[in-house]
Amino acid sequence: IAKTSLTSPPWPEVKLPDPAEEAKYHAEVVQKVNGMIAAGQYGRLFAVVHFASKQWKITSEDLIMMDNVLEAECGDRIRMEKVLLVGADDFTLIGRPLLGKDLVRVEATVIEKTESWPKINMRFWKRHNYQRKRIITNPQTVLRINTIEISPCLS
Amino acid sequence: MVLLSAPRWLRSRLTDRFWRVQEVLKYARHFRGRKNRCYKLAVRSVRRAFVKSTKARREKKRFLRALWITRIEAASLEHGLKYPAFISNLFKSQVELNRKVIADLAIYEPKTFKSLAALAQRRRQEGFLAALGDGKEPEGIFSRIVHHF
Repeated sequence: IAKTSLTSPPWPEVKLPDPAEEAKYHAEVVQKVNGMIAAGQYGRLFAVVHFASKQWKITSEDLIMMDNVLEAECGDRIRMEKVLLVGADDFTLIGRPLLGKDLVRVEATVIEKTESWPKINMRFWKRHNYQRKRIITNPQTVLRINTIEISPCLS
Repeated sequence: MVLLSAPRWLRSRLTDRFWRVQEVLKYARHFRGRKNRCYKLAVRSVRRAFVKSTKARREKKRFLRALWITRIEAASLEHGLKYPAFISNLFKSQVELNRKVIADLAIYEPKTFKSLAALAQRRRQEGFLAALGDGKEPEGIFSRIVHHF
């Protein structure tokens, strides 16, 4: 058959590596990472957590401020469950979309529950004698991330 | 003797005009020109400033999203992928990170971003192979070549 512009697809031809070899390589990598986690050879861990309908990139000892009320008293310890990504210097664990609860543990403490600075909402139409001014203070909560821990239960 | 109407020396006078004016001028102190001093000009400027800030609060979300997308595009081009390919393949491999977090990773965690780009590239190649299918011709078609007699 003659070669036309539609005989071969417009993308360059790709060849995937052998699945058996790939599986072996994957198992090796997983074992290595498990060993590293068990031995504790990671420095500072960072995690991407889905909390209060937002995604945050957090490390230990950093502060987070959310624009809503949390039903927990000041000083309560909280465990964040929806972890999307955990990483250290040499490896990252990417969740699809979430990581298991037995794999990662993110702990945080509620520090402060305040209101935001008074934001001014103003509407004005010119030549129509219409102006409305409203002052909004949103409740805010400040959390301090205490620890991020991982355990070597990869498979 | 009860007086039913108030005597003439009792007037209701405005005593806190200064503070009412200061309430408006305090928002105009950092403006340029006479509108940071004169009440009549300041009132108009402050009103416009409030209205602009309310509208800007809605636009800020759009602006920040565009900024994140530009940054992710730049970072993925460094790894040889275009932004639509990167994002679509990332979503197809069920990684649901939003653009803000991916932009932060691209800035502060380059190795993690590289692994995400490699994941997207691999998913893209698997998609191409799946689109090609078996390579056999579909049934019901007897020839692709048309003979003219």
